[in-house]
Amino acid sequence: MGELQEKLGLEFPAYKFVVEQGKIREFAQAIGDLNPVYVNSEMAEQEGYQNVIAPPTFGVCIEMWGGPGFENLMKELGVNAVRILHAEEEFEYFKEINPGDEITATTRVSNIFRKEGKAGAMNFITLETTHTNQRAEKVLISRMMIVERL
Amino acid sequence: MPAELYWENVNVGDEMPVLTKEPITELQLVKYAGASGDFNPIHTVDAIGKKAGFGGVIAHGMLVMGFMGQAITNWVPNKYLKKFKTRFVAVTKPQDIITVSGKVIKKEEDIITCEIMAKDQKGEIKTTGQFEFTLPKKS
Repeated sequence: MGELQEKLGLEFPAYKFVVEQGKIREFAQAIGDLNPVYVNSEMAEQEGYQNVIAPPTFGVCIEMWGGPGFENLMKELGVNAVRILHAEEEFEYFKEINPGDEITATTRVSNIFRKEGKAGAMNFITLETTHTNQRAEKVLISRMMIVERL
Repeated sequence: MPAELYWENVNVGDEMPVLTKEPITELQLVKYAGASGDFNPIHTVDAIGKKAGFGGVIAHGMLVMGFMGQAITNWVPNKYLKKFKTRFVAVTKPQDIITVSGKVIKKEEDIITCEIMAKDQKGEIKTTGQFEFTLPKKS
């Protein structure tokens, strides 16, 4: 835990992700969410958006496709990826995300704590990612809490 | 398309419209893996899911969160959603039928807070969570 605790505040290199309209459609379709604001720009504009928008959980797509990869993150933290479970996910929304947006994402280790349970000790790690668009506007913050079963 | 919703029409104790999804299929997990970029084979390769002790593949937690996001935005337009948080409680498997429900637990300082949960056909809770949103006021 001592070594892991030292990772608190660690910031990973920023990465970029260009949002494509087809990726938004693919993502919404995989969920089975047929809301027209994800596929039809006219309908989206009628609803008050600039263009088609990304669904509420689209941050995962930016992070998984654009980021360094979960296994690399875990290696960097010195955590065994096989013993990891996704415990919680949180999104905080600031601005809409549209096709053509160039998102810059920065991930840092925002919290680490250990819990002793009946099934043994567990480390809880929160990775917070801030998403900023090409106009330097913060659009989204995600907080992924993972558990390492020791 | 959600009907126009106003601050005055939503009150503590109100239930959000329930969303019941089609049964999850292995094919949906393959599609979601490609769409999200989460290629952890526990979601797509049966042998890996068996080895992990789940008897086969399990759904991405984020897919279930996606269902919850769908239920929310069927009711509250995306532009009003401020926060959305989930806790993954139990694993979801192919053939599970997920139902999303929730209700308003707080309404103060321009923010409405709801609790939300996803259950399967047997009533087992898969995911719990909360979301916060604002709404335009009539007056």
